[in-house]
Amino acid sequence: MKNSKRSSGDSTAPRIGVFVCNCGINIAGFVDTKEVAEYAKTLPNVVFVRENLYSCSEAGIRDIKQAIIENKLERVVVAACTPRTHEPTFRAACEEAGVNPYYFEFVNIREHCSWVHKDSRDDATEKAKDLIRMGVARAAYLEPMEPIIGDVTKKALVIGGGVSGMTAALELGSRGFDVVLVEKDKALGGLLRALDEIYPWGNKASTYLKQLVESTKTNTHIEVLTSTEVTDVTGYVGNYDVKLSTLEEPIRVGVIIVATGAVPLVPEGAYGYDARSKISMYELEVMLKQGKSPGKRVVMIGCAGVRSNERLYCSRICCMTAIKNALLLRKRYKAQVTVLYRDLMCYGTRNEEILAEAKKAGVRFINFSDEEPPLVEKEAVKVKGAILGREISLPYDKVVLTSALSPAPTNESLSRMLKVPLDEYGFFLEAHVKLRPLDFATDGIFVCGTSRWPATITECLEQSIGAASRASTFLATGSAKVEPIVSVIDPEKCRGCGLCVAVCPYGGIELVETDQGIKARTIEVACKGCGTCGATCYRGAITMRHYTNEQLVAQIKAAFAKV
Amino acid sequence: MCSGRVDPLMVAEAFAAGSDGVFIGACKRGECHYSTGNLHAEARVELLKHVLEAAGLSPERVVLRMMSSAEGNKFVEFTTEFQRVITELGPLGQAEGMDRTTLAIKLSAIREALGGRKLRWVVGKVVEFKNNGNLYGERFTDHEIKRLLQEVGMDEVRIREIIERLKDKPKSVKQLSEEINAPSRVILRQMADLRRMGLADIASVDGRTPIWQLKVDARYE
Repeated sequence: MKNSKRSSGDSTAPRIGVFVCNCGINIAGFVDTKEVAEYAKTLPNVVFVRENLYSCSEAGIRDIKQAIIENKLERVVVAACTPRTHEPTFRAACEEAGVNPYYFEFVNIREHCSWVHKDSRDDATEKAKDLIRMGVARAAYLEPMEPIIGDVTKKALVIGGGVSGMTAALELGSRGFDVVLVEKDKALGGLLRALDEIYPWGNKASTYLKQLVESTKTNTHIEVLTSTEVTDVTGYVGNYDVKLSTLEEPIRVGVIIVATGAVPLVPEGAYGYDARSKISMYELEVMLKQGKSPGKRVVMIGCAGVRSNERLYCSRICCMTAIKNALLLRKRYKAQVTVLYRDLMCYGTRNEEILAEAKKAGVRFINFSDEEPPLVEKEAVKVKGAILGREISLPYDKVVLTSALSPAPTNESLSRMLKVPLDEYGFFLEAHVKLRPLDFATDGIFVCGTSRWPATITECLEQSIGAASRASTFLATGSAKVEPIVSVIDPEKCRGCGLCVAVCPYGGIELVETDQGIKARTIEVACKGCGTCGATCYRGAITMRHYTNEQLVAQIKAAFAKV
Repeated sequence: MCSGRVDPLMVAEAFAAGSDGVFIGACKRGECHYSTGNLHAEARVELLKHVLEAAGLSPERVVLRMMSSAEGNKFVEFTTEFQRVITELGPLGQAEGMDRTTLAIKLSAIREALGGRKLRWVVGKVVEFKNNGNLYGERFTDHEIKRLLQEVGMDEVRIREIIERLKDKPKSVKQLSEEINAPSRVILRQMADLRRMGLADIASVDGRTPIWQLKVDARYE
């Protein structure tokens, strides 16, 4: 890996400006920002240094823009917080001041320095200097780029015909976008078909479902394909070619929404589950829907089969389902209901109200510790109340195991086809839990409902409306703007061996026939910029833009080159 | 930046620049933000460890640890451990009983090996071989992969070091074997390989000992 000063060919050294943010006392309280700023002045190519109280504030941005113009800055380094939140802000500032946004380099001296080295001001300060030196070194090698724009087929695919999928399809259909809705079962509805009453408002699931299916089927923009599964997906944002089990020809869509839902866990092996006198909450729902009473004495046991070594996660919604059904049994059958719980997950004001209502109506809630779980015997459940501190015996007609939603078994194959990740439990993993909760890292593919994580129906609705809205941004504009952080392959060096094609997780590189023989070529809109190809090529033919060898090696060398 | 972007050559650059250890943080298995970048990084680090070892440097100097962005405690645990191990090892080369010249030759052999065609092909195929199998659908076990990387890594580093050491002047197998600290039968086999590849030949015979030289236009990709 050789270091050529600047690949663009001009000989003048770039004029670099460094802005050191105090972030109020967030950074300045733990890092000597004055010293850091003074140090930055000594770094190569740095012609301007300024400390800001808050770089991201309006005044801070104005200051940066002005400094760029007045000092004819060509590269901008901001040492502040995380690129996750403010990189777009500073890039925009650069652009407005006439500097290409990709000439901007972010150095994180808050999370990486002041926050983690709170107890050692000197070390935090030294590390801030190191990081800025590395950032400045990289900045000299940055290259200007323009965003990539691709066409988008104005049609969406929604996978899964449950409440989430139908809602998402309806949202898109009502905006006039064509939607193909595929459902692997014979009928639409998903889990909703088995449910009786829906909390928090106690309306009938069947009535709601009937309306939803009716509107879905009658919407002229929605094509419903039941008993259909996705068998293959190729392409990229704007142009996905999807093979379906019931169609001979693949369909082309611009965006894809994953709404495949989850499956109720069968709590096999938990508390003597036998599907007769010890049933799951899902089985109770089915009974209630059929109008069958589970008996006069019901004991519900929480966290059956979850929050254990086998399944670490909390399924979030089961406590509330238990509370809802306990209250329902109390009201409908005057049953004596006891809810045994480890912790009670019952978020939101309305849900808290139902809990209070259930307590008032005479549902008993008994807390147990996970060291001493209830013992289900032939006639009675024995439990040591964590608060009471003594054992209680509860005779029962039915034991209901409040069990979780678990990931659909089809998630794995679908995640491979779509090239999107699953989390450690097998649920679909969004791009970012807070900042991009309904997107996948792959552009043009979205996720909603319980395929992402156990969720209430209300949450499923919110998410599917949200996902449809995210998808609409592509469908409405008809074009997809993609970050130009993609790989570029030099055909002179490339021998067309295809190793990069094999390692690319996104199908983002293709082999093409050229006058000089077979060559690899990046499909820019499909490339996500992971750089795996660049780290693989033995010909040095692949440049990973914005993370080039020159930039990264300059940074590595600077790390060990104390001035 | 995805751990999949970490070219093994960059790790070699870091050692050459004066680093005593390199820590690579990656997403957890199956949770990679870029799908499989972490698996490629994992394979490359395994190769790096074998290559370092083959060059007589401690394989503990390069570490890959997987964690999610929500696992700050794990990060602290991993980096503290890394810091402890590297501090205990001491400075690169010196701790392994190498003088500066030897270290420089070793590092340059490592760099050549990691940038070379053979190792990059082998390590580039690991993820595919482990998960989907080769052309015949045969999946490789972790153990098989380990042996493969170890053998090829060792071979490559040695061959690169022979080339490095033949650059200044022609040498006999015995000389090379002493300089490299490897059995002469191994060096002899590799000299035969180099000759077959058209990279080296016998310059002269000293008594009954052949003296090997690099060919002028030799380029081992």
